[in-house]
Parts: sequence; C-alpha cells; structure tokens
Amino acid sequence: MKIINYLKQNKFLSLVLLAYMVSFILRPQFAAQAFDNSAYYFIEMIQIMPMIFLLIVVIDVLIPKEVIINNLGEGSGFKGGILALVLGSISAGPIYAAFPVSKLLLKKGASIGNIVVILSAWAVVKVPMLANEAKFLGAEFMRTRWILTVISIFIMSAIVSAIVKKEDLPMDESSSELIVVNQAYCIGCGLCEKMGPILFEMVDGKAIVKQQPMVSKQIAAVENIAKKCPGNAIQIPSKVA
Amino acid sequence: MDPFTLAMWGITLVFTGFALVKNKEKTFQSMKKSKGMMSSMLGSIVSIILLIGLVLALVPPANIEQALGSSNQVVASIIAAIAGSITLIPAFVAFPLVGSLVDAGASIVPGVAFLTTLTMVGVVTFPLEKQEFGAKFALTRNGLSFIFALIIAIGMGVIL
Repeated sequence: MKIINYLKQNKFLSLVLLAYMVSFILRPQFAAQAFDNSAYYFIEMIQIMPMIFLLIVVIDVLIPKEVIINNLGEGSGFKGGILALVLGSISAGPIYAAFPVSKLLLKKGASIGNIVVILSAWAVVKVPMLANEAKFLGAEFMRTRWILTVISIFIMSAIVSAIVKKEDLPMDESSSELIVVNQAYCIGCGLCEKMGPILFEMVDGKAIVKQQPMVSKQIAAVENIAKKCPGNAIQIPSKVA
Repeated sequence: MDPFTLAMWGITLVFTGFALVKNKEKTFQSMKKSKGMMSSMLGSIVSIILLIGLVLALVPPANIEQALGSSNQVVASIIAAIAGSITLIPAFVAFPLVGSLVDAGASIVPGVAFLTTLTMVGVVTFPLEKQEFGAKFALTRNGLSFIFALIIAIGMGVIL
C-alpha cells in the first residue's frame, strides 16, 4: 500500500516505470539496454548527492542570511553576478544537483537572476569539462564558446529576472525563511504599505513583500503589521519571529 | 571519482566539521531539513536517471552523430539543438563525438548547438525543475537557453 501511495504521488516516476514495463514486455532487450545506460548516471548520483546533502547543511549553518542577501540578493549587482558565475563554475555534479543548493540560496535571499547564473554555469562551464573540451576541440574553440556562453548567461539572467518574480516560485511555507504575503488572503487594503513602506508595496491591488526584514527592529514592525492585517495574509516563518 | 569531485568532497567535509563545532544543535536541525529536501527530490532524480537510459536507447549517440553531420546546416543545427535538449550525455562522450565530426570536415555550428543544449536545456530534468522552481521559471529558463544555444552556435560559426 505504501508503495502504491508513493507512486500515486510521484507521477513522473510512475510514468517512467510504466515505460520500462511496456518496453520490457514488448522488447526485453531494449529495456535491458536502457537500464544499462542508466548505470553510469546512478553511480554519478551516488557520488554526488551525499555531498549535496552536506553542502546544504554547511550553507544553512555557516552562512548567515544577511551575507547571502548582500552578496547574491537583488541589490548585489554586477559583483553578485560574478560571484554566482564563480560558484556555479567550481561546483561538481549534474544540473539536478544544483537544484537543492539553488533553492536554499533562493530561500536565504539570493535573487532570481543570480540563481539563473548559478544553474547555467553549473551546467555548462565546469572547469574539468573545459579541459576536456580543449583536448578534443582545441583551446580556441573552448575559449570562444566559453566567452559566448558567459555573455549569454548574463543576458538570460536579466531576461528571466524581468519575467519571473519571486511570487511565481513555489515556496513551501513551513520551511521557508522568508516573509510572504499570501495572495489568496490579501484583500488589497494597503494597510501594510502605509505602516511599513520600506517592507511592503502594492502591486496590481495586492500587497507583496518589497524587502525582507533584516534587523530586529524591522522584524518587530512586520510582526505588528501582520497582527493588524485584516486578511491575516502576512505569513511569518517561525524562525524569523 | 574524478579529482575535482574528490576535492569538492574534501572541502564539504571540512566545512561540515566547522558547522558541527560551531553549532551542533543547529547542524543536526539543518540535517533534518536537508534530508527532507533530498527525499522530496529523490523520486524525481531516480526517474530522471531511468529516463535518460530510455532516451539513450531510443536515440543512440551514433544516430546523433549522423544527424549532426547532415548536409543541410540549418536542419542539422535545429536537430542537434533538439537532440541536445532531450539527451544528457556525459562530457567525455559528447566532446570526442563532436570532435570527430569537426575533424571529418563537418560544420561546427550543429556541433556547438548540440554541446550547449546538452547541458543547459533539460527536457528530462524539466519535471524536477518545475517542482522546485515553478513552471514559469523552468519554461523561461529552458526556452531562453535553447534560443541562446542556437545564437552561440551561429556566433561560433561566424567567429571561427
């Protein structure tokens, strides 16, 4: 029963397993070949994911939120972009390994643009891969592609941050460390903006968090505003409060 | 394990030690959180890996090589970009593959399109990216990466 429930929740996994079953019945050799192909990636996952597990802990415990907001947040500018590029480039592992790390950085205040840089750099411009590329395709080829790729990454980062806003991202409220305005509950009264213009602003008739509170005085102000909010829409994670 | 991954492991372990010394309680709390994060992604990651196997069985690298070397450059580049998006081939296979094509006299444009979408656009990893960052983010990032992979490829063709 437990397994069936798990499969129901993981439609992606169920579909893939179904595809394997069908191909095993129709063409067992094909299924065996497919499974064989996956072996390399399984080994890669086993080598990388325990490290990602620890890396998440390290970032969470050793790097304060303010440091991430200042260096990778909305106001970090060009320097933030370069830092994101370096962080992505020195990492190891496939792109899915970058997802949990990026998600944590996002929760701790990194900007969407910088997350795009980290994800793209993580995927494309890894140092050992560059060496491999120079070996097979020549140093000039590698250098030119690297330069063009880095330029593209920064342009993409600007476009994504113009299109995608933090409210578009799914953030599980319980583990989030950011204050959010629940858009479904917000009645658009504008009280929070009046009480804390630095922290809240009205966009399209709904309140959004303009800036996460960083000092205790601001946190106290947010708590006060949240109590007065008629829709009870301002959610404060337990950790901040 | 390649030396680079090994180095990353070493650094991570050292810092985990620091974290434990600095705040044991918070570190264990954080481990619980990290475990939750990992286990919520594990099903998807296993699916991705199994799916890669299927895709590679359907589209073996030999077929990709054939498509990349096709005489019509525009068609070849677009096919290459699509092939790169849906497959995930390790670099040590992909670079020699493109290298041998270029040595054989094929244009580099399809090859570059393939190499770039291979890593930057992820059709197989899309469900996980959507789960973690939302559909809008995943669509925008992958869509832009596909377009820019073609731009990079054309740029390479002009420069080199």
